[in-house]
Amino acid sequence: MITSRNPGLEDLTDTRAIPRRSVGQTLLASGTVLALFVLVLFFFAMRPDVFLSFTNVRNILYQVAILAIIAGAQTIVMVVGDFDLSVAATSALAGAVAASLMLSGVPISIAILAALIVGLLIGLANGLLIAYLNLSAFVATLATLTSVTGLAFLVTEGTTLFNLPTEFNNLGQGRFLQIPLPVFIAIGISLILWFVLRFTTLGRRWYATGGNVEVSRLSGINVQRARLLAFTVAGLVSAIGGVLLAARLGSASAVQGEDNLLFSVAAVFLGMTIVRSGAANLVGTMVGVAIIGVMSNGLNILGVNAYVQQVVTGLIIIAAVTLSSFKSRGR
Amino acid sequence: MRTKFKAFMAVAAAATLALTGCSGSGGEGSGSGDGDEPFKVIAFTSGNQTPIGAWWVKAVEAKADELGWDLTMIQGDFDFQKMNPAVESAIGQGADVILDGYTDVASIGSIVTAAKDAGIPIFAMDSGTEPTDAFAINITTDQQGIVDSTVGALDESLGGLEDKTIMVIGHDPHPGIRMRSGLAEEALVEAGATIAGGEIQKVASPATGRTEALAMVADFLTANPGGLDGVWVGWDDAALGAAQAITEAGATGKVTGVDATSEAIAGIQAEGAFLVTVEQPWPSILDSLIEHILAYQEDGTIPEKSFEAVGTTLVNVDNAADITPSDKLG
Repeated sequence: MITSRNPGLEDLTDTRAIPRRSVGQTLLASGTVLALFVLVLFFFAMRPDVFLSFTNVRNILYQVAILAIIAGAQTIVMVVGDFDLSVAATSALAGAVAASLMLSGVPISIAILAALIVGLLIGLANGLLIAYLNLSAFVATLATLTSVTGLAFLVTEGTTLFNLPTEFNNLGQGRFLQIPLPVFIAIGISLILWFVLRFTTLGRRWYATGGNVEVSRLSGINVQRARLLAFTVAGLVSAIGGVLLAARLGSASAVQGEDNLLFSVAAVFLGMTIVRSGAANLVGTMVGVAIIGVMSNGLNILGVNAYVQQVVTGLIIIAAVTLSSFKSRGR
Repeated sequence: MRTKFKAFMAVAAAATLALTGCSGSGGEGSGSGDGDEPFKVIAFTSGNQTPIGAWWVKAVEAKADELGWDLTMIQGDFDFQKMNPAVESAIGQGADVILDGYTDVASIGSIVTAAKDAGIPIFAMDSGTEPTDAFAINITTDQQGIVDSTVGALDESLGGLEDKTIMVIGHDPHPGIRMRSGLAEEALVEAGATIAGGEIQKVASPATGRTEALAMVADFLTANPGGLDGVWVGWDDAALGAAQAITEAGATGKVTGVDATSEAIAGIQAEGAFLVTVEQPWPSILDSLIEHILAYQEDGTIPEKSFEAVGTTLVNVDNAADITPSDKLG
């Protein structure tokens, strides 16, 4: 694999070092990270006995692990300047396929492999529609979302599939060193995606495509192939998230984890605010995921109504993106 | 000439009257099916993507085949913007009866108006929790009975509810869950229990109910170790999430649900955190509704009462094996 560095995109150190900034500009630039820090401080102040305890931090990590994987998939697509409305539906279908096959006696490894292939094929279809047939990402992935949800209903026959093998459930419910396995898997996948985005030619091509398609094309980048690959990888990674979610819950349904679509987009948007380029980046996405997880957990611990939680989540996203726009104007 | 003209007018008038008399169904709800025309029924449900909704669609189609009805089945996928105009359009083409399955009266105001204007009665099941003049009849389950049996099971399992901490998890957009969650909160407070978090914990979306309930209970147990004696949940899917959170935390609380899904029944049989659920007798409710429709078809009889709440069965470890799960009805 050819490796290189992608300064200005995944490399936060370099990007922040370019021009000198005032304290105000620095605060604005780090608004999202600051928001995370403030949230942690706030909830810690409210419940010092609980919030930063090992059990609760583990809870937070467990609760955001699958979102982190799906947000990673969304990040790749948003790096190339598109977005994918079908990530959550793809993950639900992948979980349903794996569960359905296992319940019909197919070995676990083959069922998982089949689920991942399904995710990869959905991503490939998205990529072909968008990169080669020039459909807008919105229309293509909206259509895929609809069809894939229908397929998931067909696979599950509208019911919840359960009684999955214990070995499979252990993937989502097992622990290593007291930490749930999905946390390790999410960290592993995030590190791989981060490496690809930051150090490989493919990552550089993705960023170049997302930055300016025409310039990329004139520079000799096969833009169509780059977009195709981005959607294909996103489909595969979404499927991993879906399989893990099925293992986490010990069941699979057609609409399982549908909130991961909006939260994944929100996490990527939050993450885009932490680099000067305003591009999607994996480190930022993980900060966004952490904000969503900390907020949900903290508000639950404080006993705040779920509807209020939704309002607050939206407001924090607006605040972070507004800070980002101030930052852009200041440039 | 004048005689010929009079004869022609008489024949024309007779033909017009005859044609009018034969002209199909719809209109003012005679209920008879009018001669040789098949009895025309419009059936709709918004919940066809749920297991029970899917069963209902198949069951109504089978009944229609058996009874020789001319059935128009409209499936709404929870999309009222799509479903309501489709039903109204079918009403415009005439029908004898409208059959509503699992679609709350609050969401079908335009259908109710169109049906009233056309004089077509609506026979409904589980389409609201209060009597309303929108329906000829709405048969649903007894929400108070559901609460009495589930809270009673918690009471018995926990050795009384006095000073116990119970979380109540509901979902307001569903009228049945909203009503029974409120009744459960009242019953628990009356029995001396403390409501965890001080109020009903509300799940935002039924599609993510299990993960939301899992997170709610896990977070509560982290903040209050050993501080939860039970969780009362308005439907099984979220109850399964609550039970999983209790099991993972190594806590001892008990969980109750409603619906009698196969997964919930399996949870009860495992004798873990899932204590009881409730079977709602949808097949017999549909049978009753069909009987009312047949009476209307026969001689235009409209049910005396427009609202009926039927009893349910508490599912516990003793009778779980004998219950047909709600997702296996079809």
